[in-house]
Amino acid sequence: MSEFVDATGRATGIDAATAARASYDGEFVFATAQYESGDWDSAPMVPANLIDSVARYTSIPVAPTGVIVPLSSRSLLRYPFAWLTGHLPVRFTDAERRNVRLWLERGGLLFVDDHNHDIDGIFHRTATEEIERTVGPLRDLPNDDVLYRAFFRFEDGPPTTSHELNGWGDNLVHEHLQVARLNGRPAVLYSSKDYSSEWGYHPDSKRFMSVDNTRFGVNLIVYALTR
Amino acid sequence: MSESAASMGSSPNTASRTAVAAVDRVRRSLAGIVWARALLMGVITATAVLLLGKLVLLAGAPRADLPLLRVSWLAAAAGTLVVGARRWRDGPIDQARAALWVEEQESQAFAVVTAVEPQRAEVLQLLEPRLRGVPWSAVTTDAARRALLFPAFGVILLIGLLAILPSHDSLLLAREAARSGQGVGRPTPAGPATVSVGAVAVLVRPPAYSGLPPRTERDPESVSVLAGSSVTLSGSTRGDLGAVDGTTNLPVNRDGDAWSVTLTMPERPVVARLTSSGEDRLVLLTPVIDSTPVVTLADAVRDTVLREAAGAIALAADARDDLGLVSGGFEYIVSSGEGELFTSRSDTVGRVALGGARRASLTATLQLDRLQLGPGDIVHVRAIARDGNILSGPGVGSSETRTIRIARPGEYDSLSVEGVPPSAGDTAALSQRMLLIQTERLERDRPRIPRDSLLARAGRISSDQTRLRKRVGELVYARLGDDVDGEHSHFPGDGHDHGAEGKLDPADILARASAATGSGEPVALDFHGDETPVVAMNKPLLEAYNHMWDATRALDIGEPAGAIPPMRLALAALQRARQAERIYLRGRPPRVVVDVSRARLQGKTQGEGSVRAPREATDPAAAARAQRLERALLRLGEGQRDAAMDSLTMLRADALSTNPPLAVALGAALQELRNGSDAAVELERARRLAAGALTSRSGLPRWGGLP
Repeated sequence: MSEFVDATGRATGIDAATAARASYDGEFVFATAQYESGDWDSAPMVPANLIDSVARYTSIPVAPTGVIVPLSSRSLLRYPFAWLTGHLPVRFTDAERRNVRLWLERGGLLFVDDHNHDIDGIFHRTATEEIERTVGPLRDLPNDDVLYRAFFRFEDGPPTTSHELNGWGDNLVHEHLQVARLNGRPAVLYSSKDYSSEWGYHPDSKRFMSVDNTRFGVNLIVYALTR
Repeated sequence: MSESAASMGSSPNTASRTAVAAVDRVRRSLAGIVWARALLMGVITATAVLLLGKLVLLAGAPRADLPLLRVSWLAAAAGTLVVGARRWRDGPIDQARAALWVEEQESQAFAVVTAVEPQRAEVLQLLEPRLRGVPWSAVTTDAARRALLFPAFGVILLIGLLAILPSHDSLLLAREAARSGQGVGRPTPAGPATVSVGAVAVLVRPPAYSGLPPRTERDPESVSVLAGSSVTLSGSTRGDLGAVDGTTNLPVNRDGDAWSVTLTMPERPVVARLTSSGEDRLVLLTPVIDSTPVVTLADAVRDTVLREAAGAIALAADARDDLGLVSGGFEYIVSSGEGELFTSRSDTVGRVALGGARRASLTATLQLDRLQLGPGDIVHVRAIARDGNILSGPGVGSSETRTIRIARPGEYDSLSVEGVPPSAGDTAALSQRMLLIQTERLERDRPRIPRDSLLARAGRISSDQTRLRKRVGELVYARLGDDVDGEHSHFPGDGHDHGAEGKLDPADILARASAATGSGEPVALDFHGDETPVVAMNKPLLEAYNHMWDATRALDIGEPAGAIPPMRLALAALQRARQAERIYLRGRPPRVVVDVSRARLQGKTQGEGSVRAPREATDPAAAARAQRLERALLRLGEGQRDAAMDSLTMLRADALSTNPPLAVALGAALQELRNGSDAAVELERARRLAAGALTSRSGLPRWGGLP
């Protein structure tokens, strides 16, 4: 039996023996957050794309493929960074809420991206409510925050996405990311910019781009590993 | 009098009508006076109750927590009703009584009662002069003055007394302080140099929404206070008194020796430091945060998928709160769409007012017919409850969410079954069944046929079985690494030299397939173990492969009976593979393995050309020339023009053989200098050439001095 999936294909936690076997070996492992209520797997290509970018631009040891981590699983504590996205309502179970809170208190960074890119959408409304319930209120992250110079420099804050510029979703260009802090430390970064769509392509397609739009993803990961 | 005269008409009828109207006005005035007096008496009663309560407190009565204000309201109502009832007992003031009352008040008005009764015209004519002289307004004014003057004076007097006495709260606090050893206004016994803070009483008034009563604690070290409560610390001291919370000064109200500090409890602890000249006193106020309601969904028990959006779903939940629930209900969201286009709508069912109950059960029915659900729509339901916190809330508690999904066409349950066309595996399975039938027939015929025929027929079946086995092997390899030829070119029994041939081990095949694709160890970080989708699908094929191998070996030696069991096992394994292929595991995103080495442009081999070597040192002779040129230029800059030109000339001479371009540049520079022109361009070119490129020359460089 797998350590992450049961007979129904549903992800579960890991046992102690498996955890010991798969103990941390110094590599950064990209974790996709799996939650009960919505389509957590709506952007399956983003992990590979950001892993490729981390490998391409940095010397950070990185695992060649990501993992899917249930938010209710203790295995979440093995990863410093988790990516959460979707279109549908985000409502944590009690177990998920407790575990996420524990993980964030111990230093994890959760990046939440609205795949609907719509502040009137159900993902935004429920995810922000859930974040506030789990961690605390979301505030605008200043565009001169260290996040925007953690690796590449983004003088104007978070880079825009084609979905924003083309008038999809809420037809807004969101000037800021939002942050929820825990004991003064950034614990949750929230994006209405839909990086899930922007970065949802196979990494081999980067060669067709004049400017790699996933560079900001490198900042996110470096930020999570160094802040 | 003039008013009465003016109101009287000239005809007897007119006089009679006017008299009736005047009496009616008097009647109404008298009724108003009666009720005004009753109200004033009620106010007097209420004020007297308040005054009495304060006097009781001042006298030190044991029950200090009487709701005096409420009692005073009751007293006011009672006083009003008593006075009003007495008047009501005497009967209503009708026209005859009013007329009689006027005659009693004014001796000249004895004709009023007669005038308001029906009379003949001659009588009225005789009454007219009498009615003219009746002072209608004067009698009512006098009556009002007599009835209301003293009650009004009493009200003013009592209210004045109330205003003079200390407030109820301060009396309560002073009493608490007095109980704990120091009376209000009494001088604090203290030494000549110090004045103590004295006893401290803490009055806590919780916010109105909580419904909790006020309470007082005497000389506490710490008090638990609901956030948002009004807290009053008070006591009495002769000296100065300061109060701070951390670095924030708290305003102190003084009234003689009595002092009080009032604050609103925040959601953080407050340490009130009370300081007098001789003592510091700390009072810790710990906040009690109004918790949000806790809601537990009892029904629906689990998520579900429905084929059609019809029927009703019963919902039930339990809610509880520390102070009281205000409302509750079930909130649902209907999300529709897929891919990049999602819409949603939400509403609430079963909303109820809970009236401050601390526990409540919520029930509702969700009518799916009315939600206009389509295939693929998802209903997300949860129970919610709100408390009455109007300061920092309301606190909204919610239960876990249940989802009810409407299946899409062709979807049976939580697993999607794809209608894929028959794969190559199907063909293999069909052939295996035919081979099994042929083998069973051969086994039945075996006693009747000669050995040669048996071997020939078994050989043909074995050959077909071998071809089928190769086909299965190709399928396995193709799925693992897109290397179809890999299995063929290294297939056991194909006549190639493979060393020790035999059955294939699943792990060995996976390892070889992985090696063929160059992707390293076939370990998926997220799907450890042997249950990855690829393995789960290929494992039956590998088993079939090995069973076919056993069958072939038995057929080759003419033992069809020995071949039948493994052939049956092979057929069963192929059937399992067919089933496995038809299952699409949901919620499993495609796994992309990033070639990190490739992304880092490291490739699979290190590559000789990419090794960086240090740059070779500059030619020593060129370096010396460059230094000589620098020195010459330095002299030129210092104004030693002649010396510089000499040096340049010497350098040019030396460069003629070793670096001709430099010599040319220096020559041009010297020419400019001699002409008194600017030689900067030529000297710059010479400086660039001075370092020069490496030059090869035969033999050793000449000895000593300048090169």
